[in-house]
Amino acid sequence: MRNNAQRRAGTHVNLRLRRASQSVNWCSVLCAALALLIATVARTADLSISVLDAHGRGVAGLVLVAMPDNAAARKRIGRVAVMDQINMQFVPDILVIQTGSSVDFPNSDQIQHQVYSFSAAKRFQLSLYAGHKYPPVVFDRPGLVTVGCNIHDSMLGYIYVTDSPYFGRSDAHGQLTLHNLPSGSYTVTAWHPRLEEGSANELHLRTTVVESEPGTVLFQLRRTVPISMPPHESKKWLDY
Amino acid sequence: MARLLNAARTPTHCAPAADRGVRALAPSLLLALLALPELLAVPAAPAVAQMNDLDATIDVRAIASDGERSYLDGGLGLLRFDENHQGLRIGELRLGYLGQFADIVHVTVEAVSYADGDRLPLDPTEAFVEIRPFPYLGWRSNVKIGAFYAPISLENRLQGWRSAYSLTPSAINTWIGEELRTIGAEYDLDWLGRQRGHDWEFGVGAAAFGWNESAGTLIAERGWALDDRQTTLFGYAADLGVGPTHRPRPFYWDIDRRAGYYVDGNAKYLDDLELRALHYDNRANPDVYEPALNDYAWHTWFNSAGARWTPAPDWTVISQWLQGDTCVAGLLFCWQYGSEFLLGSWQYGPDLLSARYDDFQTHADHPAFIAGVEQIGHAWTVAYERELAHSLSVLLEAMQVDSTMPARLELGERPGAVERMVQLAVRWDINIYH
Ligand SMILES: [Cu+2]
Repeated sequence: MRNNAQRRAGTHVNLRLRRASQSVNWCSVLCAALALLIATVARTADLSISVLDAHGRGVAGLVLVAMPDNAAARKRIGRVAVMDQINMQFVPDILVIQTGSSVDFPNSDQIQHQVYSFSAAKRFQLSLYAGHKYPPVVFDRPGLVTVGCNIHDSMLGYIYVTDSPYFGRSDAHGQLTLHNLPSGSYTVTAWHPRLEEGSANELHLRTTVVESEPGTVLFQLRRTVPISMPPHESKKWLDY
Repeated sequence: MARLLNAARTPTHCAPAADRGVRALAPSLLLALLALPELLAVPAAPAVAQMNDLDATIDVRAIASDGERSYLDGGLGLLRFDENHQGLRIGELRLGYLGQFADIVHVTVEAVSYADGDRLPLDPTEAFVEIRPFPYLGWRSNVKIGAFYAPISLENRLQGWRSAYSLTPSAINTWIGEELRTIGAEYDLDWLGRQRGHDWEFGVGAAAFGWNESAGTLIAERGWALDDRQTTLFGYAADLGVGPTHRPRPFYWDIDRRAGYYVDGNAKYLDDLELRALHYDNRANPDVYEPALNDYAWHTWFNSAGARWTPAPDWTVISQWLQGDTCVAGLLFCWQYGSEFLLGSWQYGPDLLSARYDDFQTHADHPAFIAGVEQIGHAWTVAYERELAHSLSVLLEAMQVDSTMPARLELGERPGAVERMVQLAVRWDINIYH
C-alpha cells in the first residue's frame, strides 16, 4: 500500500527517471543471467544414485536429494505438487519438494478429511472438506513436514522440503538419475520414514560432480527386508 | 486458480492509470506472491464445514443350525439362530447417520432392526456427539457425550460396531454388544507421536456413565454366548427362560442413581501394533432393588486387554482377554467370568479369510444350584468374505460352540452341548444421502 501511495504522489519526471534507470538495470541483469545460464549448461553432469539392501536388491521409495555446497547452485523452481487422499490414505504418502513450492491436497474420497500439520517447518490446517476446496499450501521452510487427518489418525503423509532443486525418489530398482547438476561438491541424502538406518532415518554421502562426467553414488543398506509400507486400511473401518 | 488470479490482480487496481503496464505489474505481482503464503495458510473461505451422511445396510442370511434352543427364545443355547430358526433370515437392517458440524463437532447415530419382535422396529444402538479439536503440538483432546461403546473391541471396526472379520463376533465382544453401553461422557487425551517423528502413539481415557446396572445379568443367567445381536438402547436384552428375571424388560435402566466409570489406555506402534487395556466398574449398589424390573442392581467390574498385530499388510492377528466379577443382592450371589480369543485374518484381493478360537468360562462364587449358571466352553469360527462390488459382499461363516452348563438339566437338556451353525450372508451397503 505504501508503494502505491508513493507512486501516486510521484511526478512524471520521477517516473521517467526511474524508467530510465530500470531499463539499464534490466539489461545488466539479463546479460548476467544469460551468461550464468550458458556457463551452467556447459558445466553440468548427470548423477545416478542407487540404493541397495544387504542382498544387493534395489530399495524403492526413498527420498534422494543432492545438495550442492555452493548456495548459488540452489536455484528456486516454484512448483505445485499434489498429495491426493484416496481410500483414507495420502497418495503419494511421501513427497519431496523444493522450498517455496506448494502442495495441492485434493480429497478423492467420498468421506471428508481434515488435513493438518504441526511440524515446525510448516503448520497449517484445512477444515473438513471433500473434493478440491483449497488452493495449494506453500512450503516456505526446509525440513520434514508430517501431514495427518484429524478424523482418521491412521492417515499419515510426509513432505520432505529441501533447498536443493535436485531430488527425487528411488524407483523399483532402487535407482534415481538426476540430470544437469552443476559441477561441484554435493551432499547426497537418502531418507525414508521407516529407513531405520542412520540418524533420523537419514543417510548422507559426499560426492563431487565433475563437468560432463556422469557420476554415481551408492547407498548400501544393512537391511535384508524391504521397507514395509503401511497396511491397506479399509475405507469402511472406523476407530471404535 | 481463480482465487490466485484475483489475489495477484488486486494490487494492480490500486496503482494509478499512468503506471499500468508490464513494469508496474512486476512489483505488484511480487507483492502478491510475498503475501501468498499468508493467504494460503488460512482457508481462504472461512466456510462452516458441514456434512451429513446417511447410509444403510441390508444383511440377509441363509442359516443352517443344530443349536440348542437359543437364549433369545428362552433356552440356554449360545447361538443367535437355533434349530428352530433356520432358513432365510434377516441378519440386520441398519441405518447410520454421521454429521459433521463446525469442523470439530461430529454426531453419530446408529440404529438397527433385527426383525425378531423387539420392542421397537428400529432402535438406536449408539447416539453420541463427539468434540474433536485439531491437535495442539501433538496432543489432542476428544470428548464424547451420549450412548456409545467403550474402547474394548479390536474386531468391531465396521460402521454400526460390526465385526470386520466375521458375522459373529467373539464371546467377549458379543457380551459387550449385549450388555455394555456407555451412556454418559468420555474424555480422551491422545499423544500423536508419529506426527512428531516417533514410532509410538499413546492415549488415555476416562468415562462416567449411568443406566448400566443390568450389566452382568446375562453372564449370571446364561453365561457367555456368540452372536451378533447388539442390545438396542430402548430394547430388550433377551427373553431369558431361567433365573429371576425371565420376562422381557428394557435393558438400559438406571437403578441406583450412582455413576459407574472406566479408565483406559492404548498404545500404537506404527501401523503394526495396537494395544488396549481398560478397567470397568459400574459401581452399582447391589442392595438396591428395582420393582419395575423385578431385579437388583448388578455390581459388575472387569479388566480387559487386547492387541491387534499387523505383521504384514495382508495379515491381521487380534487377541483379547477379559476377566471380571458380577454380584447381586448385597454381594450374596457373585459370579466370576473370563474369556479370551485369538483371531487370524488374511486379505487376498477381494477375499478375506478369518479364523478365530474363543475360550470362555463363568463360575458361580456361591453354590450354583441356588441361582444362575456355571459354564465352561470354547468355540471355533471360520469366515470367508468376498467383495463382489464396491458396496456388495457375500460372507460365509461356519462355527462350532462346545459348552458345558449344569443349568441345562433344569430345561431337561444334557449339560454338555455341541452347537454348529453355518450362515451365508449377502450384505448390501447403500448410501442414502451424502
Ligand atoms: Cu481423514
